[in-house]
Amino acid sequence: MVNEYALFAAYVVVLSLYVNLGIALYGIFARPSLVKKLIAITILSDTANAFAILVGYRWPIGKLPKPPVITELPVTRKVLETYTSTAVDPLPQALVLTAVVIGLAVTLFIAFIIIQYYRLYGTVNIHKVRRR
Amino acid sequence: MLEIFTLTLLTLFAITSVVAAYLAIRERDLVKAVVYSAIQSAMYALIYYVLMAPDIVLVYIPVSVGLIPAVLLFVIKKTERYEGD
Repeated sequence: MVNEYALFAAYVVVLSLYVNLGIALYGIFARPSLVKKLIAITILSDTANAFAILVGYRWPIGKLPKPPVITELPVTRKVLETYTSTAVDPLPQALVLTAVVIGLAVTLFIAFIIIQYYRLYGTVNIHKVRRR
Repeated sequence: MLEIFTLTLLTLFAITSVVAAYLAIRERDLVKAVVYSAIQSAMYALIYYVLMAPDIVLVYIPVSVGLIPAVLLFVIKKTERYEGD
């Protein structure tokens, strides 16, 4: 019963992430305001990060997974065996930790570009800019 | 039992994030859109916590619920508040 429910939850989470991806792409391509496009870009990058985390997750079949941290100091063979059988994958977490910080830098850069755009054109609506 | 509770929380956070993202994109008032985007980011932080990534939550909450909405509100203050014609 737990296995079927885990499958259902996996389907719902992956489907919601795909829907978020579609919403973010709609926001980037179809909304006129540049600030709204920036919000959509942040949603898109968050969704990509969530996909990466979801790939490294170990679905709870039998027992719940643990964070990838070894807490017992004399690392024996038995400790390593329990670690590899219960912990989630630490590699996507390290990559996402880097991607979050880089995404912050990119967002700051695009915000600066939008402010300069407003100083040059007097609007952030791309339709109004095209009509001039 | 604990597995079912965890998975229910996961689906709940995922569906709430979809609703918040939809409202953030459809909203014409950009300040409200930023608030909805912050709610969506908070839901993603909770999803990361449920997916056993607590170190990412510690970085993600200040960056994505604190700093990015602050930057976006600064940009909205410098430019226009309402989207569209």
